[in-house]
Amino acid sequence: MGSARRLVFACLAATLVVGCQRAAPPSATTRGAPAPGGTVVVGLLGDLQSWNPYLAEDEDSYQILRLVYPSLAIEQTDYRTHPPAFAPDLATSWEWSEDHLALTFHLNPKATWSDGVPVTSEDVVFTWRTQTAPDLGWPYASSKDSIDDVEAVDPATVRFHYSRVYPYQLMDANDGVIVPAHRWSQIPYGRWRDTDWRQLALAAGPFRIASHEPQQQITLERNPTYWRAGRPYLDRLVFRIVPSRSSLLTQLLTGDVDLLENVPPEDAERVRDAPDLHLIVFPDRGYSQIRWNLRRPPLDDVRVRRALSEAIDRRLIVDVVYDGFARPSLGPVLSDMWAFDTHLEPVPHDPADARRLLAEAGWRDSDGDGVLDRDGQPLSLELLTNAESELRQDTCLLVQEDLAGVGIQAEPRFVEWGTLLARERKGDFDGIISRWIEPTMVDLWEVWHSAAPGEPTLNSTGYANPEVDQLLGQIDEATTFSAQKPLLDRVQQLIVADQPYTFLVETMALVGLNDRVHGADINDAGPYFNVDQWYVNTEPQ
Amino acid sequence: MPVRTSTSTSGTSTPSRSESHGRGAPSTRGAPAGEGSLRAGPTVVRRVLVRRLATLLPLAWLVVTLTFVVVHAAPGSYADTIDNPRLTPQGRALLMQRYGLDQPLLTQYLRWLGAVVTGDLGTSFLFQEPVSEVIGRALPPTALLAGTALFLDLVLGLVLALAAVRRPYGIVDRLTTVLALGLYGLPTFWLAGIAILVFAVWLGWLPPSHMHGIDADRLGAAARLADLVRHLLLPALTLGVVGAAATARYLRATLLDVQSSRWLLAARARGLSERRLLWVHTLRPALLPVITLLGLSLPLLVSGSVVVETVFSWPGTGRLLWWAAQARDVPLILGITLVGAVAVIVGNLAADLLYAAADPRARGDA
Repeated sequence: MGSARRLVFACLAATLVVGCQRAAPPSATTRGAPAPGGTVVVGLLGDLQSWNPYLAEDEDSYQILRLVYPSLAIEQTDYRTHPPAFAPDLATSWEWSEDHLALTFHLNPKATWSDGVPVTSEDVVFTWRTQTAPDLGWPYASSKDSIDDVEAVDPATVRFHYSRVYPYQLMDANDGVIVPAHRWSQIPYGRWRDTDWRQLALAAGPFRIASHEPQQQITLERNPTYWRAGRPYLDRLVFRIVPSRSSLLTQLLTGDVDLLENVPPEDAERVRDAPDLHLIVFPDRGYSQIRWNLRRPPLDDVRVRRALSEAIDRRLIVDVVYDGFARPSLGPVLSDMWAFDTHLEPVPHDPADARRLLAEAGWRDSDGDGVLDRDGQPLSLELLTNAESELRQDTCLLVQEDLAGVGIQAEPRFVEWGTLLARERKGDFDGIISRWIEPTMVDLWEVWHSAAPGEPTLNSTGYANPEVDQLLGQIDEATTFSAQKPLLDRVQQLIVADQPYTFLVETMALVGLNDRVHGADINDAGPYFNVDQWYVNTEPQ
Repeated sequence: MPVRTSTSTSGTSTPSRSESHGRGAPSTRGAPAGEGSLRAGPTVVRRVLVRRLATLLPLAWLVVTLTFVVVHAAPGSYADTIDNPRLTPQGRALLMQRYGLDQPLLTQYLRWLGAVVTGDLGTSFLFQEPVSEVIGRALPPTALLAGTALFLDLVLGLVLALAAVRRPYGIVDRLTTVLALGLYGLPTFWLAGIAILVFAVWLGWLPPSHMHGIDADRLGAAARLADLVRHLLLPALTLGVVGAAATARYLRATLLDVQSSRWLLAARARGLSERRLLWVHTLRPALLPVITLLGLSLPLLVSGSVVVETVFSWPGTGRLLWWAAQARDVPLILGITLVGAVAVIVGNLAADLLYAAADPRARGDA
């Protein structure tokens, strides 16, 4: 099994969501020379969970903490065209041992914590110990499964020792930010959750903490000890916490907030038409799908599943539900990723063929009521989705109409997120409309490998194809990306042929940005990817 | 012999309070809610006080236990609400373990209850801090907002009611009735949205949200206070105006009751001035039930308004509860519920005691 099965499901409904994207060109306008100073205000739905990155579990917190704590390297946004590259950050360079089982990082000698103490290899070792400490239980610890040891060679050199060779070794070493050993290592992990980390936080990234008013505002200010001279340009980065999406949009439109992620598609025009704002759009690594329950007849029949997929018009969903801010989804790998099989045959929208397939499977409208039946039973399905997401509910209604067109009776049911998850885990569903956000690592195991009963898995459909299982095992053992690629292609072909999901659409992130902010490259690596290069010419309103 | 007030309501019913106010309509007119036996001597009052305080603990226990059951009856858990694409099923299992959510429910309940007995409300999942600190931080903003709103509620309500009863069923009365019922009928979230649209977006007079502007920490004390007042106005008015509508309807009814009383007739027959009749003989008895209203409003000062605090990003307990519920932060939900339950019980008790102190009939010495 791969060390990190991070294909995840993102779905915390419509309420949360963090847009991610692709290698988009620098999106903001660049006017004049960057001038130091100024403040940028970001609108946030939730508060920072903790100033300790190993106690903060959500994506928003992680994105903010990355501005305060350093990383060894920075993952680049080129992972769509080839496996992701990394740029130096705390580590100025790195090299591999001959057997590729040891990776040595050379740390930037200029890097210091905001109390003046240098950032050293001891901090990196302490960070790894923290990440893997059983009594702390960091939920992302699986990325360290193949790292046996981290060794401080000298204060500026640190070496990672691996138990095996695989393509994502650097990504796994780099996962998680570096924290200060000299300040934190005296506190036993068992006491971490009762510790006030605001007082103990130290910065070595571009910003440091200025103030934090819970439920109100997080203010970061330029870290004067940051090792990149002259950066960041901004004096302050302020996060205003506004717990309602509509209030956030209002504040973006009034200029109270400069940046807002996750603008709903129906509000895109308002942002685009506002004189001081521009809308940044990029694919967000998300795709929506209908997950069919393969344990339940007639969904165990591949002809029925294929008919369901052929009956649904994805283009209509893109145009009507997403206002064009999406594109049809073709398979389990995003269509613009390096690992995508470009020879994949997409399932067409073909209601006539859908009817033919259903007839072949024995479904006919014998009583003339417009609904297909077999052995006296109508072809009727429940379509489940979560009530928090209007996009998914609208999708559900369009799908219902498409399915009615081929004689399938679909009953939409909108339930609360927790209920949806509970029913999915129990296998108590026919079809679920949901969405995944893919990590930059291509790992199909969690969703597509057959799972033993009781094993934690994202394979809720009960999909089990021995050939897919075998191929996923081979992918896991492959030591290079080029060795993985043909195996990945074959897996995609098999999954698309089996249609355990009806792949619906690949979604896009919509970000609203005030024109006063310049130099911002907003992309799916995170909203603050190049924040040290942002600059403004005027203060916020 | 004490003179009983007539309980006829001139055909007007008391509107019940909205959820966001957290207080119900008083159960009686011209008499304290509940404990009729408070209309007796100080010894009885003491006995009742002891009895009521003794019910505090079991009641609070019952409320939090029911909350615990309800929270856990809903599917899903804190680990399900984490929005992070990097979280794997194994990571989710680790999270469940980290927060003890993998334990049997009874174990979780007993563990929580055992800690509460020692004064420990647990650690919030969402804030990674002791629940008591998180709630303690949210209480002052809630008390400020709710206190201001309550003040506006009573003052505006009284003014409207007085205007209405000057000529019952006259044009002013009808207009205030329409205004009060109209305001009362509006959903608070809608009113809040409109207030933001008009005063913050269109007119730009007041800030749309938060307790302070982004530069508040750079301001001097006076400027910071002015900044706070500017931010307080919209949410306090939204909350206060809706409350005032209900208060006005309520006071109008009690004022009309008093106006038809025999003692007022007697006072008028003695040739007292209209002004004296109003301020001494009408207003004083009519305002007595306001004490009950106040007592019932006390919990609002602690539990806050979920809707108004959320819409205006006000950092109080109401918003905290909304947040905790969204994230299934069980210790925080239980902590807020416990504090709210105690506030309701204490508020009711305080109202009864105050009433007993203020009303000579209730003291039994009239």
